[in-house]
Amino acid sequence: MSFDQLIVTEEWEETDLSLLETLDHVLNRGLVIAGEITISVADIDLIFVGLNVLVSSIETAHEVLRKRQTE
Amino acid sequence: MKLYAYCLADDIDVLEEPSSGISGAPVRLLKTEGFSVLVSDLDADVVQVTRENALAHAAVVRSILDRTTPLPFRFGTLVTEQQLVNYLSARKPALETKLAEVRGCVEMSVKIIREPAAHESEPDENINQGAGTSFLAQKRREILGGEQSAAQATTISTWLHEQISSRIRAEQVTLRPTEKLVLAAAHLVERAKVKKYRENMAEACQSRPDLHFLLSGPWPPYSFANIELEFKTQFGVS
Repeated sequence: MSFDQLIVTEEWEETDLSLLETLDHVLNRGLVIAGEITISVADIDLIFVGLNVLVSSIETAHEVLRKRQTE
Repeated sequence: MKLYAYCLADDIDVLEEPSSGISGAPVRLLKTEGFSVLVSDLDADVVQVTRENALAHAAVVRSILDRTTPLPFRFGTLVTEQQLVNYLSARKPALETKLAEVRGCVEMSVKIIREPAAHESEPDENINQGAGTSFLAQKRREILGGEQSAAQATTISTWLHEQISSRIRAEQVTLRPTEKLVLAAAHLVERAKVKKYRENMAEACQSRPDLHFLLSGPWPPYSFANIELEFKTQFGVS
């Protein structure tokens, strides 16, 4: 993981930000083979620790699950 | 048994180092349609979003970033080999175009947070107003605040673009993706320009003490790998 210019405010831990940035990239973006994304967020509470600002990955994960449940 | 797909590239013949992916399964190359796809076997129907799995996915994609610029698949891409071959065959021209767009580049990520000034979050000074008046005053503050935030996000986005426009090949900018974020930007930067890009961003950060910056990278070009689902019906998605 490379965070060469990471600027961290005092309430964030760098490891949390590394994980959150990774989740933001791998969950939100990338090639999609339609209908073949199969994820579960049972363990998602791991990334809530100390992270109450950058929550786009969480929102995406829940949105994916919500869509799957309504299909 | 299904295949978990990590990324595809157009110029990888062998994996230099054996690596393990989701659930510790060995990663291998699947070569078809002129593409090399990094995959591993997975005996499951659902991929759990865990710290270990997310980091494993990212690590496998990153493992070839020094050699080439891959197009990452989204986390959780679990397919049969035939589905993957069909996808690559049907999308071959679009994928080749996309690979050409990102070739020689990496992605740099920028997120900007702006703390509201003290006077922006102060409640209305008239504490003796009735409940209805107070409600309407609060709504008015929310509406005006939203308009101000949108205008500020646009201004900051324009400013950021001016700082690094000569260093980037492409960008993806999302204004106010969450309540606290002013914007999230992904910049596609040629490898030879990464140093200058960082210098420009460092100068930009110093010139705006009113903003908080979260900069990370280099990343594989996750934000530049999306392809519109022009063949939706072929895959049964309406």
